Amino acid sequence: MADDEFAAAIARLVGKPVGSGGPSIAPDPVNQPMIRHWAAAFEDWNPAYTDPEFAAASRHGEIVAPPLMLQTWTMATPKITGMAERGGSPVDLEGESPLTVFDAAGFVGTLAANSEFEIERYLHLGEVISAITVIESISDEKQTRLGPGHFVTWATTYLDEAGEVVGRQRFRILKFKPEGFAP
Amino acid sequence: MNVPASASAASRATRDFATVSVGDELPTLTLAMTPTRVVAGAIATRDFMPVHHDRDYANVQGAPDIFMNILSDTAYCSRYLTDWAGPDAIIKRLAIRLGVPAFAGSTLTYAGRVTAVTPGALDGLVEIDLRVTNDLGDHVTGSALVNLPRAGATT
Repeated sequence: MADDEFAAAIARLVGKPVGSGGPSIAPDPVNQPMIRHWAAAFEDWNPAYTDPEFAAASRHGEIVAPPLMLQTWTMATPKITGMAERGGSPVDLEGESPLTVFDAAGFVGTLAANSEFEIERYLHLGEVISAITVIESISDEKQTRLGPGHFVTWATTYLDEAGEVVGRQRFRILKFKPEGFAP
Repeated sequence: MNVPASASAASRATRDFATVSVGDELPTLTLAMTPTRVVAGAIATRDFMPVHHDRDYANVQGAPDIFMNILSDTAYCSRYLTDWAGPDAIIKRLAIRLGVPAFAGSTLTYAGRVTAVTPGALDGLVEIDLRVTNDLGDHVTGSALVNLPRAGATT
């Protein structure tokens, strides 16, 4: 991809919603099995997440999902076949996305840089969460310790079924041309 | 390495806001970031990026091994906060910045310090600085805002 073509593709992405333009709807409602799986993986034994009797008597009043599971509910169901060939994308990429634009220009490396959550309220079992994500900014090319790259920042708003905001997230990744890890 | 809290040992008590002061330090947590922990965290957060479970793929990207995903970082930070604060604590905000990667085989040390307290009638807000380090340097730096109840206050 020529430099000016690449710059134009970046300019087209900024300010645009990610994906189809509509919200990403969680494939499953907030549920106890996924919460238990999460709690076991991180050895987080907070009884408000898995003990109904404790949760009922707590400030939460009922089982609540771990607040930092917010991003997990709307993660796409992965398509395992071909994942590495898609540059690590868990789903088929449709149209112009940051991954496809940067991969085509040689910025095949992906590394998370920042994640900032504001939690409006905790989620309860049975709630169906959706997320609306907009690309907030794409930096100029920077020289990083991993190689030259661009920082891509997304802003996501998480909503309940009534359309009320339950949380917000700003998420930043680095798309880079790998030159080896040299911390 | 510290022995991780077991389910039976998990505290069911919540810290009283009135007992928290600026400068208080959270007890450190040491975690051996085994390949199992890296993969378990990636899958539990539904992050299937191959750099978190496929060492060959990580090598092609220039990394010597698989490494922790950022959703696991926010998860462990939230656990670290509520292990200290208790189950009635409410996390209002968590902002983290990743520094050096946490490769499989490294050991992470979690540290936290109270930087501000804002009292309310029935509860209060506690601001905490977080720092997670390994042998390469700062893996995570960040801050959190946690609501804690006052003992005896009903909300």
